[in-house]
Amino acid sequence: MASKPKVRYVAHFWLIAASILFFAPFLWMVSSSLKSEATIIPKTGQPPQWIPHVDKLDAQGRRCVIMNTGPFKGKSGVELEAQEESQHVIDFNGQTVKAWPEDFDVEQVIGFEWENYKTAFGMIDFTNNLRNTLFICVLCVIGTVFSCSTVAYSFARIPWKGRNVCFILVLATMMLPYQVTLIPLFAVYRSLGWVGTFKPLIVPAFFGVPFYIFLLRQFFMTIPQDMSAAARIDGCNEFGIFARIILPLSKPAMATTALFTFLFEWGDFLNPLIYLQDDRQYTLAVALQQFQSSHESAWGPLMAMSTVITIPIVVIFFLTQRTFIQGITMTGLKG
Amino acid sequence: MTRIERRNLRNGLLFASPYIIGFLAFTLYPLLMSVYYSFCQYNVISEPIWIGLDNFRELARDNDFWTALYNTLFYTVFSVPLSLAFSVALALLLNQKVKGMSVYRTVFFLPTIVPIVASSVLWLWVLNPEGGLVNGMLKQCIGLEGPGWLASPDWSKPSLVLMSLWSVGGAMVIFLAGLADVPTELYEVAELDGAGPWGKFLNVTLPMITLTILFNLVMGLINSFQYFTQVFVMTGGKGTPDNSTLVYALYLYQNSFVYLKMGYASAMAWMLFMVILGATVAVLISSKRWVHYHGE
Amino acid sequence: MKTYLFWALGAIACAVALVVLWPQEAQTPEERKALGDRRTIITYWDRHTGHEAEARKALIDEFNALPGNKVYVRTVIIGSRVEKLLTAIAGGAPPDVCSLGSSVLAQLAAQGCFMPIEDEVAKSSYLSQSNFLPHAWSLVSFDGHIWAIPTTTDTYCLLWNKNAFRRAGLDPEVPPKTIKEIEEFAVKLTVKKGGQIEQYGFVPWQPWIQTYMWGGLFGGKWFDEKTMLASCANDPEIIKAFQWVQSFAINPKKSEQLPFAVDPGLTAQNKLGGQYQSANNPFYSGKVAMITEGEWQCTFIPKYAPDLDWGVAPIPQPEGVPPLCFAPECVVDAVPAGSRHPREAWEFLHWFYSPRPGGTSPASDYNFAIHNVPPRRDEAMQDRFISDPKFKVFINELLSKPGIILPPSPAAQYLLDKVENYHEKMTFGWLPAEQAAQEIEDLANTEIRAAWKLSGRKQP
Repeated sequence: MASKPKVRYVAHFWLIAASILFFAPFLWMVSSSLKSEATIIPKTGQPPQWIPHVDKLDAQGRRCVIMNTGPFKGKSGVELEAQEESQHVIDFNGQTVKAWPEDFDVEQVIGFEWENYKTAFGMIDFTNNLRNTLFICVLCVIGTVFSCSTVAYSFARIPWKGRNVCFILVLATMMLPYQVTLIPLFAVYRSLGWVGTFKPLIVPAFFGVPFYIFLLRQFFMTIPQDMSAAARIDGCNEFGIFARIILPLSKPAMATTALFTFLFEWGDFLNPLIYLQDDRQYTLAVALQQFQSSHESAWGPLMAMSTVITIPIVVIFFLTQRTFIQGITMTGLKG
Repeated sequence: MTRIERRNLRNGLLFASPYIIGFLAFTLYPLLMSVYYSFCQYNVISEPIWIGLDNFRELARDNDFWTALYNTLFYTVFSVPLSLAFSVALALLLNQKVKGMSVYRTVFFLPTIVPIVASSVLWLWVLNPEGGLVNGMLKQCIGLEGPGWLASPDWSKPSLVLMSLWSVGGAMVIFLAGLADVPTELYEVAELDGAGPWGKFLNVTLPMITLTILFNLVMGLINSFQYFTQVFVMTGGKGTPDNSTLVYALYLYQNSFVYLKMGYASAMAWMLFMVILGATVAVLISSKRWVHYHGE
Repeated sequence: MKTYLFWALGAIACAVALVVLWPQEAQTPEERKALGDRRTIITYWDRHTGHEAEARKALIDEFNALPGNKVYVRTVIIGSRVEKLLTAIAGGAPPDVCSLGSSVLAQLAAQGCFMPIEDEVAKSSYLSQSNFLPHAWSLVSFDGHIWAIPTTTDTYCLLWNKNAFRRAGLDPEVPPKTIKEIEEFAVKLTVKKGGQIEQYGFVPWQPWIQTYMWGGLFGGKWFDEKTMLASCANDPEIIKAFQWVQSFAINPKKSEQLPFAVDPGLTAQNKLGGQYQSANNPFYSGKVAMITEGEWQCTFIPKYAPDLDWGVAPIPQPEGVPPLCFAPECVVDAVPAGSRHPREAWEFLHWFYSPRPGGTSPASDYNFAIHNVPPRRDEAMQDRFISDPKFKVFINELLSKPGIILPPSPAAQYLLDKVENYHEKMTFGWLPAEQAAQEIEDLANTEIRAAWKLSGRKQP
């Protein structure tokens, strides 16, 4: 439907307004991650600062300040090293005065504070956490794609007795809140000796995830049955049909499954929180949360960490946008 | 059973076996145990002790349980419909075939893929009453003294609802696809009948996307009843201030892993399941009245 | 053919990815070497993070480098979240030794998660009860056994910002000495600017909720000494303390308010903006003029706020209440029942807690490094601790006054959490103090009885 120009202008207006609202938190995150401890919390009554500033230093690395009381009000000077009774000594071209910290402001210039990233990387074992996260992601992707496609094949393309009952079971378990099985599963993994290992996070992926089984089944159903029949006449067995005909035709659906699984595991929190205990096993999400809980309101480093764990996802999203949108559309519409 | 039927059964079971095994081990067995535990006092370390219905009686008396249920219902009642409305509105705007649609779509979609831990930490900072972005902008732009957001028991739940609106991108994309399926002829007919944009929306668009609305409504309900990670990260697992963000799943987590009252937590899990089931069934029954099945 | 190629390439890519990403049992070169030397590697879980964890690590490195040592200790920093330890122990994957707060010790000990340590304690004259401060030893005794060794102890004092006092026209050397004076000073020290409070005089829940402490300092008894059940409901002192804390919170429904009343939301823990360990800590940055804080501030303040001019004094108590100090918890070392190498764990612990030949014990060095108080008299009296006049105020408190503790009970942490909960109900929701005390007692006692029942032990 082609809209009238007027409608389109109005739409543009609202879209731009909404985009700004949606994007502002991201900008704020990056901006905050580049601010120093001193500037990240604005003084009472000052507006938020979008562009990070740092203290202005003179050639000798001393801070430049502006007085806001006393005879030198409004003049700029430099802060000398020496302090007396916790008052700061400030030099105005040779003349010095003593001042309390609230009597002057430190001059600010635009500049980035990369220290937060160093702090954040120093406080968590980033490479190790990244490796753990990717390891879990990759294995879960392999497991999910493999198991869900075979199961979906069985539900979509093999007419066996009891199939429908089984499939309804799959749909029903999608409704089941994870809290119901949370505790007994913990007990099961405990008796298997799996608590404190990656196994509780990975092994279930190899036994099918209802949501993706459903997604792939819907996709397999759309492939004409004649193709299987033709292959069968050619002497192809069930596995051959699955591997040579169905799978190659289902790459978009499988890519979607892989992508969603990857994203889910990348950000998954509760399971790693419960099952991983050694800090060398932590995933990025858990490491970020642990970091946050032990350094509450260390906003600079926290924003730096958040930026670092978000960026890979954003990159992946840009590379795979089409698959993504297709996938979401697929799951939503056929529901 | 014919030979083909037998072969199909064998192959079918073979192909479905990962799920069947997984279902027995990771769903059915835990499910049965969960029922059993909900009638027991149990802490994983010692053997469960059968206490009959005591856990459920205790739940009825437990003020925090009711608070948690109320908080979750509050969140659900506000966040689900508002998210729906918001995502439909965005989808409608995007559906005007404006230029740069893919850019807008990306911007709206991005928040949904940010890891929840990261977005929660981010919002904690954005909503910080001192030095946060929202209060800073309110003060700068309209001279308004912002509320305490997550620090105030009155504003903490609205804050959570606000955050949920930030991640409507997924539902929006689904609606966008739903809108694309609406036949253009219907609009032409409506236009001939003299319908304005609003009339077209009410009489054509809305009825044609009711199925999509139903889908998003059910998914939204299920998810919001299980809302957990955001509050866990933002309140350090406590549900502060004054239990105003103690949502159901968080209280369940506290009981299971902080106090090791696993029997009690299992009872809570079943109550949650009942609530979700009840809500979903209610929506599905009511949907007979308002969902228009077309083209099927 | 193309299909096969596709799958083959996919399989190879996956295999390569897995080989690259396979979590190496994350052994450091030192650990590999230790294994090569046929040493036993034991894991130690540290509840501390940051520089406190580094201090412990340095001492553990010293142990690992001892000549002829057959034990190698690997440290894992676990943080202070209780459920991390609980899930590990409950999940059957405990460390060999762990440090933990004494508030959860009894809860886990009642379920048989730790080994009683009397036999090991008997082996070392240095670990005998008479060496320890009385409150520290009672924190590790439960159900007729000793469950852990106290590592560090803490106490709280009143800290004040001398510059804030000067600006308010108060004598910077004279802190408040009575509860009444705290209130008077709080009024004078509260500075408003354009409708916003720029400096808070005193907030009883800064830096965190300390209502348990105020109950104790007001002379209240949280637990019955015989039955070890909670007994706060009918304790007039605890109710007085609750009401006093409550009086600091703005009540929107009340027309008359005390002049120092503040918004409990804005002043709640960490809501004053700044990070605890940074120059933005509200006390360091001048947002709060008086605060009740622990002895670790003697290292924190010089490190994060060298400019701050501050003083320390005992926390005022109501008149007529015998002087008490608040020392609710110790950090302790315990050996989980599921430890795979208990003998080696003890080898490490004996080293850590005994003096080196002709020197101090590593445990005391650890306390010195992080500026906590060693829980034993002789070590606390070491020159390096009492030579700092401010630190000495804290030590004097612990040595000269009986300590208010959180007594070991299977529901100790639960009670503490509930006090926090009800503190919020009282300050935000304005719940009457009597009702709060009653509900806390009921909840805690239900929990205590249930825990005893589950443990199969006899409730005292």
